[in-house]
Amino acid sequence: MSDLEYWLKRRQKIAAWSDRWQAEAARFADSHRDLLPKRITNTQLYSLGNVVRSARRYADIERFIRRQAEKAERTGRLDVQGYWNDLKDALGKLHDEAQALLKTLLSPRTSGREDLDMLHRELARLYVQHLIAHSLYWTPVKEESEQ
Amino acid sequence: MSEQSVQEVALRVALERAIARKSDEYDRRAREYAAQLTRTKLDKTQVRGLETLAITTDKVSDIIDWLKLRVGRDSGRERWAKEGIGRDLVNELEWLREDARKIVEDARKIVDELRGGEHTAFAQTVDPDLERQVHLRLCREFLKHLTAHFEYLKAERER
Repeated sequence: MSDLEYWLKRRQKIAAWSDRWQAEAARFADSHRDLLPKRITNTQLYSLGNVVRSARRYADIERFIRRQAEKAERTGRLDVQGYWNDLKDALGKLHDEAQALLKTLLSPRTSGREDLDMLHRELARLYVQHLIAHSLYWTPVKEESEQ
Repeated sequence: MSEQSVQEVALRVALERAIARKSDEYDRRAREYAAQLTRTKLDKTQVRGLETLAITTDKVSDIIDWLKLRVGRDSGRERWAKEGIGRDLVNELEWLREDARKIVEDARKIVDELRGGEHTAFAQTVDPDLERQVHLRLCREFLKHLTAHFEYLKAERER
């Protein structure tokens, strides 16, 4: 498989994955809707989006989420802590998705750890993009400023 | 040309025809949305932004997320959230998936008929991502009409 072929195929697989997983991310947002937008604010969601977009390793994303959960625990907001822990689990599970996706690409370069981490980050970024869009969709900005 | 190549070309032609037919069907509905959009505070740039995204992205979910974000951010309900226009559009674009499913199903039948009614190995191995790709094409077609009508109607209003 040529380089171009590999990257085109990879891009298409990621696009298909993203479209397939949009509903899953929306389900996550729906199942925590009672926390939006007061307990989990839009600002926190945007911060998550920024971290996911700029992370150089998946561990950076996990660290951010863990810190949010710890902060919530210290202030006794256990429901918020639960949100971040659930999100950590949801994004962590995408590691297996990344692994399965790489396997379908059948290329020698897919064996690298770095490649796996890069793809895991990419899937997490897409999941979070869907999550933020769906969360804001049902809890418009106005409600946050009113409360 | 090999038999499989002939079938691939036949499939492509069938898909293009079906997409063109659907596109013509969408025109009237897109005009209704466009008319509703002209009653919002949206300008050409914002509606064109949606069309540009649809043309450049390879994901339907990017289009849906873009709209959801705009609906969510429209706190004054004067743009994408006015009278539920953004939500209706999200639903409309999601429903096009059903048209895509039907188009791919029909195109496969055409290829099968080429083989004298046999359900061929080729028909079974058609790209599993095809339905999604057709869905994306249908979204682009719908939004192309929407933008054209919006710009025309907006200009008419401002005249």
